[in-house]
Amino acid sequence: MAGAASHRQARGGGDARRDGADGTACGLVIAGVALARGMRVIQPSLTHRMAAGEITLVTGPNGSGKSTLLRAVAGRLRPLAGTITCSAPMLYVGHADGLAPALSGRRNLADWAGLNGIAATPDRIDTALSRLAANAFSDLPVRLLSRGQRRRLALARLALSPPGALWLLDEPTAGLDAASRRAVDALITEHLAADGMVMAATHDPLASACTPRDLTLEAAS
Amino acid sequence: MMTGLATQVRRDLALGWRGRGEALVGLGFFGVIITLFPLAVGPDAARLQPIAVPVIWIAAMLASLSGFTRIFADDVRCGWVDQVALSPLPLPLYALAKAGVHWMVTAVPMLVVAPLLALMLYLDIAAVPPLLLALALGTMALTLLGVIGAALCEGARGGGGLMAVLVLPLALPVLIFGVLASTPEDGTLVTPHLMLLGAVLLVLLALAPLVAAAALAEAEAETGA
Repeated sequence: MAGAASHRQARGGGDARRDGADGTACGLVIAGVALARGMRVIQPSLTHRMAAGEITLVTGPNGSGKSTLLRAVAGRLRPLAGTITCSAPMLYVGHADGLAPALSGRRNLADWAGLNGIAATPDRIDTALSRLAANAFSDLPVRLLSRGQRRRLALARLALSPPGALWLLDEPTAGLDAASRRAVDALITEHLAADGMVMAATHDPLASACTPRDLTLEAAS
Repeated sequence: MMTGLATQVRRDLALGWRGRGEALVGLGFFGVIITLFPLAVGPDAARLQPIAVPVIWIAAMLASLSGFTRIFADDVRCGWVDQVALSPLPLPLYALAKAGVHWMVTAVPMLVVAPLLALMLYLDIAAVPPLLLALALGTMALTLLGVIGAALCEGARGGGGLMAVLVLPLALPVLIFGVLASTPEDGTLVTPHLMLLGAVLLVLLALAPLVAAAALAEAEAETGA
């Protein structure tokens, strides 16, 4: 099985496949992907396609490989078999927030923007922070913040996302208050309206107004 | 990509400044190892002077080693490496940035205090410039080895001990050429030994970022399972 492993990713939109007669670009193609955690196979074969403007909710019991699938799509984990092709830039918000504890939330967000070549003026950073009502604590070192506050800072990246990107969100609303959940829903809705894509692993309903498709993973045997 | 690299360097410098206490611990370690020798051997110039250069080199190696585990640990734990992997900044360049800043934060202070410690060991003033030049190149090479070790140890338990076993044997050429280059017989600064040390550095400069990037390609925070 491992011999068939191949993992291909194209970034930047040069490799968009055309999907069928309607001519819509197929942004993400997951074809026959087998996932393992350590030595244990947790998903023998997954196939899924996403086009621009679509949202997929990855659901399933604990341990069924939701996070593993997102990491595989993000290219941070090699699938045992199958291919994953993505023509859009990707934005990943995983369990680890990607925030340096010693730096402020604002600095972390600005560094992320600089890393990705996103022109982030202080105004744009402010706007992004305000989308998740994170301005009030964005100048404190991240180590002083609660889990939910860190989460909001990590999610503020979504407001700086390039249009058309594939968002990979691992339990984005876990630990968030109701207002922040609504803010995340609003960001997702706008992103989809601008032909973005969202793949989220979640146990909660997310962006239900956008008629998400479900990708249900079965419990690992 | 270049803005990404500049951002990464600035970020690491800011983190290095906020974590300067840890760099000072390494510097203190360097000083303490060297100070132990006059205490153990006795304050006799005839006995201290011949071992001054090797002692400073060994102290520099051990003190550098103590800081290597930190190079990628925080970035992997907090998920920053995930963000770098998805960004336009290639992982080898990221590893190179980490190595460069780590050298600036940990090795440069050692180079600054090394002349004082050398005088304590009765080393001739004239012998200090070749020692510093060789130490500068040698600590760069050591840091690049450390970057390889740090990336490989990421995720391995007891990374610190593994690091010593992994990096010290590979650092032997650096130690041998470094000590020889620090003690030129005719007083010239650029010796064949220094050139060989430079060659080792260049090989590591080419290889270390690639090896580290390969090791980091799937590094995962423990909470991210």
